[in-house]
Amino acid sequence: MFSKYATKSPWLYRINTGSCNGCDVELATTALIPRFDVERLGCKYTGSPKHADIVLVTGPVTVRSENYLIRMLNEIPDPRVIVAIGICPISGGIYRDSYSIRGPLDKHVEVDVNVSGCPVRPQSILDGVAQAIGIWKDKIKQFHEA
Amino acid sequence: MITLSASSVFAYLLFPGGLFAVLFGLLLLSMGRIAVARFQGRVGPPIYQNIFDIIKLRVKEVLIPEDVTNKLMFCIAPVFGFVGMMTAIFILPVSGVYGGTGASSDLIVLIYLLALPAVSHILGGSASGSTYAAISVSREVILMFAYEISFIIVLFTVALAAGGGDGAQFSLKGIVDYQITHGSFISDIKMIPAFLAFVIFMLATLEVPPFHIAENDGDVMKGYLMEYSGMPLALFEITHALKLLVLITVLQVFFMPGIAGASIIVNLLWFIGKSAAVVACIAFIHASMPSFRVDQAFKFLMIVPILLSLMSLGMILFF
Repeated sequence: MFSKYATKSPWLYRINTGSCNGCDVELATTALIPRFDVERLGCKYTGSPKHADIVLVTGPVTVRSENYLIRMLNEIPDPRVIVAIGICPISGGIYRDSYSIRGPLDKHVEVDVNVSGCPVRPQSILDGVAQAIGIWKDKIKQFHEA
Repeated sequence: MITLSASSVFAYLLFPGGLFAVLFGLLLLSMGRIAVARFQGRVGPPIYQNIFDIIKLRVKEVLIPEDVTNKLMFCIAPVFGFVGMMTAIFILPVSGVYGGTGASSDLIVLIYLLALPAVSHILGGSASGSTYAAISVSREVILMFAYEISFIIVLFTVALAAGGGDGAQFSLKGIVDYQITHGSFISDIKMIPAFLAFVIFMLATLEVPPFHIAENDGDVMKGYLMEYSGMPLALFEITHALKLLVLITVLQVFFMPGIAGASIIVNLLWFIGKSAAVVACIAFIHASMPSFRVDQAFKFLMIVPILLSLMSLGMILFF
């Protein structure tokens, strides 16, 4: 009953796993705040992983960030949706086959939405978040039936 | 004297406290978010956004961290602030709509009730065992120490002014009645510094940007709310909404309790309109200000609002 209304309030949380900062700039300044306002969909950035509903992961999962990524993902309460932002967490991108990469992201966690691009375009981030909200709705239903 | 009657239970649970206050407070929070978005050239969330946030938090899993230092305190801390704010909205009169409890010294009770949300942040944050929460709690304590002084001076200034020359008036109902017959304090030149001091106190208590220090996403993540999730977090959000409504009501009781007519409906709409205007002003300050560091905020709060409120107190006492 509540899942219909709950999906109007997805809170976003960003995890940077050694990204070059290109996608983070797109997330922070271009796509989600001033012009392509994602607050229309009810989203807001949270500072704590415990408040997160939709997790936006950037970067190719470097060796040094691997442990922190796993610990962080364990702290995010269910039901949650993982979105891979940029080509790096999807396949490794230009860092593929590098000695310092423990990616791609779906080795560590089940990824729900892939948003590709290098860096991603603001419109595709918004599209990815909108698709993630649809997946999240089904997950809420499953979570409450289980 | 408060007796347990059907009307006081109704006032506590439904209107103007309880359900009405929670829904109206959440709507005011969303209005603030929309106003900030419009000042920044965005569209902003829909008006019912914060109500949906609460519904969303209900469906989420509740996590209790393993290294929490005091599990019982961690779980019951949100309740303190919530209960304090529910009681505060119950004792506050809404001019022309609701008379409050009519107790003779409820102004003193208000000092204690308004401190309770900060106390619940401090208890919950320090019990959660997170480093970010510890930093945030220390900042909250420093700020609280600074802003409570100016609030108490403003409160006594208002009480003395409403006494009208012979002693102080410590009844909230009495303050409202005095201003309805003698004109609102906001139109009194002697009370303008106290009004400014109270606005600064409001900003500091609500933690909007000039004082967005204790739960600043940029440096302490979410501060004392770091380890909370699900329903306890929702209770903190509701408390924040009630705190906004309580502070706006206190502002109206102290400085602008004017009534618009004899009918309850008209006065209620007038109250809602005044509250929305105050929220828009807060949103303007929110959208246009950067944040202080904690030491700058402490210095500012120890000097500016205290001097302003003392100025008003002096003018009331000696002129």
